[in-house]
Amino acid sequence: MARLDIQRLSKVFPPPQKGADPVTAIGEITLEVEGNVFVSIVGPSGCGKSTLLNILSGVETPTSGTVSVTEGGRPARLGYVFQDARLLPWRTVIDNMLYVRDDDGAPASDTASRYLEMVGLEHTHQMFPGQLSGGMQQRVGIARAFSVDPDLLLMDEPFSHLDAITARSLRDHLQQLWTATRKTVLFVTHDVVEAVQLSDRIIVLAPGGRIFDDIAIDLDHPRRSSDPKVATLQAEILGRFEEMYPSNVSGMTPGDVST
Amino acid sequence: MTAAPLALGKGPGTPGRVRRILTSSQGAQATAIVVFIGAWQLLTLVATRVPGPVEVTQFLYTEITGGSHGGIITGQFAEHFAVTLRHFSIGLFIGFTAGLLAGVLVGSFVIARALLNDTVLVLLAMPAFVWAFLTTMWFGIDWRAPVLTVAFTAFPFVAVNVAQGVRSITPELKNMSSAFGVSRWKQFKHLTVAAVTGYIFAGLRFAIIVGWNGILLSEWFSGQSGVGFRTRYWFDANRYRGFVGWVIVFIVFIVVLDRMILNRLQARAFRWRDPVEVKAELSNPDFDQVGA
Repeated sequence: MARLDIQRLSKVFPPPQKGADPVTAIGEITLEVEGNVFVSIVGPSGCGKSTLLNILSGVETPTSGTVSVTEGGRPARLGYVFQDARLLPWRTVIDNMLYVRDDDGAPASDTASRYLEMVGLEHTHQMFPGQLSGGMQQRVGIARAFSVDPDLLLMDEPFSHLDAITARSLRDHLQQLWTATRKTVLFVTHDVVEAVQLSDRIIVLAPGGRIFDDIAIDLDHPRRSSDPKVATLQAEILGRFEEMYPSNVSGMTPGDVST
Repeated sequence: MTAAPLALGKGPGTPGRVRRILTSSQGAQATAIVVFIGAWQLLTLVATRVPGPVEVTQFLYTEITGGSHGGIITGQFAEHFAVTLRHFSIGLFIGFTAGLLAGVLVGSFVIARALLNDTVLVLLAMPAFVWAFLTTMWFGIDWRAPVLTVAFTAFPFVAVNVAQGVRSITPELKNMSSAFGVSRWKQFKHLTVAAVTGYIFAGLRFAIIVGWNGILLSEWFSGQSGVGFRTRYWFDANRYRGFVGWVIVFIVFIVVLDRMILNRLQARAFRWRDPVEVKAELSNPDFDQVGA
């Protein structure tokens, strides 16, 4: 069972230009996630959501604080879904799937094929990414992340570059995959409705990279956005945001969080 | 009783089939060749110093088979062609290797780009005949002149293309590789080498074409053997069928090499860039269509 332990984590970037102040992407964050849960991190642009994922994946180093991601006492294996698919354009779909795996024999190929099938792309093995639409490329990206059998799956606004209909379709694919695998997921989004549909827990970040709220969502998976229970909860949480932001968070308004 | 309708254009040899053949790309190419040879033959009727296609073909046959051109002069195709190929291969190897190294440096390091980018661009703009002159001035009538002419003309084309290939590896792809913990060897093989391969072929293709032009000029000015030397030999001897014959050999060699090998290799290496609309039927189609 994956365990994510973040203690007093901060990240400060150097001033973007001479004479400017350093940029605090993440204030002191302390966060614990354990078990096969789907956790969303919601917040406006620039509140440090992507920086947090980059630190977890090792792409960025923190300024202070500690991060540990473990599975049964050993370092956890990570999977990553980015805002864009980040596929190697000169490799076929199946080769892209195998690129991120330690092994590339027949079992790895079978696993990759199985996940491609789960996202409805079983006929695209020998196609190149440039021959796929943006939505299909992102589905490959999702299948790739699941296929490495990650202990913790990091997803950085994976649907933000897609149109609403494609994004809805991909959310359904993601829910099917997650229901089948029950991976621990840390999902960054600025879309509150999306977060409510997908998550067991929503962590709200405020500008300056501080945790503003931590909300548990107690509904069964998979969820449809048209489900009255989901819709009611979405409306309730949106209402909470609209009440909270102007009065409690300096510089943050309801419009900063996409609905 | 009713008459069977005529199936015009359906059977072999019918006007429809002929029209299809003539309007295909192969038909158009064949037509262009026939028209060119016809125009060439017509030109010989008004310009008497221009040798006709039959004359040139006869000359090439004699030159290739080692027959007599009259007196003690015999055909020496294989000897001269082999010399040129040897010079060309050595020069291309030097130019390609140097271009590959320079391209990797320019593509990878900002400081190397600042140092070498303008130099490479200047070399790119330098006509082949300038190198032919310069190397002849430096080395005289020597094998080094044609070899280095090829190397100098090929080098910038390889360097520019390889640098472009290296720069096509975006930080996002590197970050993705790091996030998934892809080994350095695997990154080198599938990210760096695979990204650059297509650009290497593109650079090599240009390098061969410009280098081949360079060697003709260099051998013309400074050679004692080779295709360029032999072409000048027939030019100086006022035997224009020989001059035109060798020019044709020179052109046909590079066209065949490019069409049969280089173009195909480059197309294969860059097949991922082809905007092919794939007609894959997806098992789970949504509004998310292929190529949309």
